[in-house]
Amino acid sequence: MSRSTAIEAGLGPAPAGSPAAAGPLRAPGWRGPKLRKKTELTILLAPALILFVGFVFIPIVIAAYYSFYNWSGYGPLSDPIGFRNYSYAFHDPAFIQAIEHTLELTVASVVIQGPLSIGIALLLNRKFFGRGFLRTVVFAPYVLPPAVTGVMWSLILQPGGFADQLLKAFGLGGLVQLWLANVHVVLFTVFVVLTWQYLGFGIVLLLAGLQNIPIELKQAAAIDGASPWQVTRRITLPLLAPTIRIWGFLTVIGSLQIFDIVWVLTEGGPAGASSTITSYMVLQGVDSTDFGFASAIAVILFVFCLVFALIYQRFALRRDMQGAITRAVG
Amino acid sequence: MRSSRALAAVALAVTTATAAAACSSGSSSSSPTAAPSANSASSASTTAKVTLTWWNNATNQPLLGIYEAAIKGFEAKNPNVTITNVPVQNELLQDTKIPLALEGNNPPNIYQQWGGGVLGQQVTSGKVANITADVSSWISGVSGANGWQANGQQYGVPVDLHVVGFWYRKDIFSKVGITVPTTLAQLESDDAKLRAAGYAPIAVGSKDRWPDAFWWEYFALRDCPQATVQSAIKSECFSASCFGTASTDLAAFLKTNPFQTGFLGTSSQQGAGSSAGMVASGKAAMELQGDWDPSVMEGVSTNKSLSSELGWFPFPQTPGSAGSQTAVLGGGDGFSCTGSTAQVQACADFLQYLDSPSVQAQIVGPGQTGEPVITSESSAITLPATQTAAAYFKTASYEELYFDTALPTKPGQNLDTAIANYFSSPSSSTASAIANSPQTP
Amino acid sequence: MAAITQLSAPGSAPGHSGRYALRRWTVIPATYLVAIVAFGLTVVPLLFVIVDGFRTNGDINNSPAGWPHPWVASNYTSILTSASFWEFIGNSALIATVATTLTLVLGSMAALALSQYEFKGREVFYTVFVSGILFPIGVGALPLYLLLQRLGLLDNQFGVALPEAAFALPFTMIILRPFLRAIPGELREAALVDGASRFRYFGQILLPLAKPALITVGLLAFVTSWNQYLLPLLVLQTSSHFTLPLGTYTFQTQYSQNDAGIMAFTAMAMVPALGVFMFAQRYIVAGAAGAVKG
Repeated sequence: MSRSTAIEAGLGPAPAGSPAAAGPLRAPGWRGPKLRKKTELTILLAPALILFVGFVFIPIVIAAYYSFYNWSGYGPLSDPIGFRNYSYAFHDPAFIQAIEHTLELTVASVVIQGPLSIGIALLLNRKFFGRGFLRTVVFAPYVLPPAVTGVMWSLILQPGGFADQLLKAFGLGGLVQLWLANVHVVLFTVFVVLTWQYLGFGIVLLLAGLQNIPIELKQAAAIDGASPWQVTRRITLPLLAPTIRIWGFLTVIGSLQIFDIVWVLTEGGPAGASSTITSYMVLQGVDSTDFGFASAIAVILFVFCLVFALIYQRFALRRDMQGAITRAVG
Repeated sequence: MRSSRALAAVALAVTTATAAAACSSGSSSSSPTAAPSANSASSASTTAKVTLTWWNNATNQPLLGIYEAAIKGFEAKNPNVTITNVPVQNELLQDTKIPLALEGNNPPNIYQQWGGGVLGQQVTSGKVANITADVSSWISGVSGANGWQANGQQYGVPVDLHVVGFWYRKDIFSKVGITVPTTLAQLESDDAKLRAAGYAPIAVGSKDRWPDAFWWEYFALRDCPQATVQSAIKSECFSASCFGTASTDLAAFLKTNPFQTGFLGTSSQQGAGSSAGMVASGKAAMELQGDWDPSVMEGVSTNKSLSSELGWFPFPQTPGSAGSQTAVLGGGDGFSCTGSTAQVQACADFLQYLDSPSVQAQIVGPGQTGEPVITSESSAITLPATQTAAAYFKTASYEELYFDTALPTKPGQNLDTAIANYFSSPSSSTASAIANSPQTP
Repeated sequence: MAAITQLSAPGSAPGHSGRYALRRWTVIPATYLVAIVAFGLTVVPLLFVIVDGFRTNGDINNSPAGWPHPWVASNYTSILTSASFWEFIGNSALIATVATTLTLVLGSMAALALSQYEFKGREVFYTVFVSGILFPIGVGALPLYLLLQRLGLLDNQFGVALPEAAFALPFTMIILRPFLRAIPGELREAALVDGASRFRYFGQILLPLAKPALITVGLLAFVTSWNQYLLPLLVLQTSSHFTLPLGTYTFQTQYSQNDAGIMAFTAMAMVPALGVFMFAQRYIVAGAAGAVKG
């Protein structure tokens, strides 16, 4: 590990005797550097931590506690049932079905929205007239509240509605389906709507990541004779990779938890054909005033997300800790 | 007391949840206004100021204005009482705000209450006031009040009632040359003629699941004797064989293709493409719905002559079946009370005011919310179709509360979901799923 | 420079070799075609929302996909002239601004702590933050509601803004920390050798370099807060405190839905959020270009 990355990685212990070991942070005149460091850390970290623990972490823990009770949400917690909520969930074919759908939507989101977002972000990164306007338009769906998106698309996807008429106008009438009523098609329909809504989020994120790529690198490569495609493939994309990985993480977590759009479009129907883990949770838990059960489903979802997050952090995000840019420059 | 009113009142049989262990008489004794309240419903003799918050679902006109006028009228008679009106959208109110408020420290003093097993569950929170004593002097004049009881105690009061039946387009019927069907067989042949003429015979909002439940539940009322229905609801199990017959009958009916294309994805009330919208725009000829349907249709239609084109008929008869041929499915809107002794008393007084003839005439007249709880005011109903419904209601053998409200929430929701699954693919396995659906784990 | 020289493909001269020309006429136009299609698919439903605001419900009912017939401006005008709409906007703006500011300030402080210092348990803290995103918010609603009640924060804009900021912290950390770590160590060395304190380095050098990330985080936090409806629903009681998404529900009657009104309302509600975006996206520009120089 080079000296620069060592220091960048957090002022870790430098090789003894080297100038860096004296380190900028042990500059002469500072009393008790450790105490100072601790104070600074506390000042920086404490406010966010307190806010987060208070308003997020504690409610989550309490909600998880509910999962061990048979509780309607009314009155005291008086009926502890251990893991029975959990075992019921896993024996319920409707829940297994919901898990399958959720996984399908998640995988599809990454595999399809990924290349699309990257491609469009690359395009929108160039200078051209109306770039700001185009970026705004592309981002606009993300700005719509998901519930309203659902209402809007319900209108568009009605039998004989706008979508059908558009297809017919393009001579694709044979593709017309009962988008929301056909149990074999509805999940696909949901995915299309999800993509419409969340593509803009990915594009904006990737655009920000593209800004971190020094233009000199690309210019140097072009001077050396690389074609634009090669510049993209060998410089831009690898340097964009950390942002892509973040995007991937947020997309997977978001997909696992997807709710609003699905609920408004189909409520998980018909007959559970588009159910997701959260729609199942709301249907079986919240709407059925079975808060204990709803909490159990939430905990199960949390565990799924946690397992994914840990694996992802171990294999994918770990590499970003070493500073992609510093290494490339060497 | 007119016999029909007594019949309807007594026969509104609601069973409370026996599954919820906490729903015992213990909770009623812990609620704040147990017996000794000597002051009955006459207006406030206390002079202390009382403020109440009122959560209801009247977010739009005309009901919004009617409720606000009611507040003013009541405050004029009771100057020490102030009521703050808080209208909230229906689903948000029912599914989110009310349950959460009942869990917290400061639930609303007057809040929307649909009765039945759900009421029973809410009572276990210990926050819903037992108003039996506060209303005892006037509650007997209110139809359907049994639906707002738990353990024989009054925990809420209805302000309007609903009945579920067929809302149909008289103009389409006459254009196609059919008459109002009285039997199921007639309905099916009418459907065939309508389809041949290019209409969707019947619209249904299957996406919301509860409109499907209306269908199954009516078949259940026709195929099962009253006692069977009520004991099934009480025990939360529909394994009696007559329910299987109901499922089979429903499947046979579904085979006649009576519904609109893509009905599995249609909502019942949301916007233009809903089942209500379809009837309003004349794409479908009829819909099995509650008597709120006309006001829903009004919201999604430019059809100015709708009120004269709309008619009503009851669920057709199925001669030879084991259940009652004139039973109806229905429910109502009401309110419950929470808070201090003074607040609960003021709340009860306000509910009495809402159930007074003049306000009732407003609620069911311009308010178009269904049938009044003071039967004499049914003459105030303006819509001809609703008048037909109200008249039939008086002659019904009994009224059963929609099952998903009669049952506690979870079994009720399970039942709705199982029926919706059945609509999607009628089979013996989905039928038996209906039978077992209410059972909680 | 060794890394760079590796990147030019052996054998291809600068300019237009045969292979490059092929790419120029197929891949590149194809990419643009895809972009145009994607753009079209994005825009058309948005236009649908805006145009439908000019229709009546009955009109929408009769022909779901047609043009307004007649064109009615009443949906839009009644919204623009209703005092409550502007009240809603004001509330939404206040809450979103507070939440976003809190998120940015506290989030960047915490991200600095977790990226610029090394200490025992650092990864634990990071994981704690990240874990917040792994739990669906709806289920935490009940305990959160009770907590807010106990703190007396009900019916109060801060009762909405504080939890929103808290919930925005996880993805803030996820985006900011890697960005901050990616900024090379030479800069820090240089600054500190020059005698700057750590905090000065953070404030005057590091954070400005992270501007694209900060703007992105701020934007996402703003939009998320703008569209929140569950939290405001739980917390706010008086209708004069309501936010825009709650206002949408005033277009839903007890039983049905005023589609045209909702569309008009939505179109209007989008405008502020999009305005913020149009303003902000100008700043997501090549700001880090100078990071490696010198």
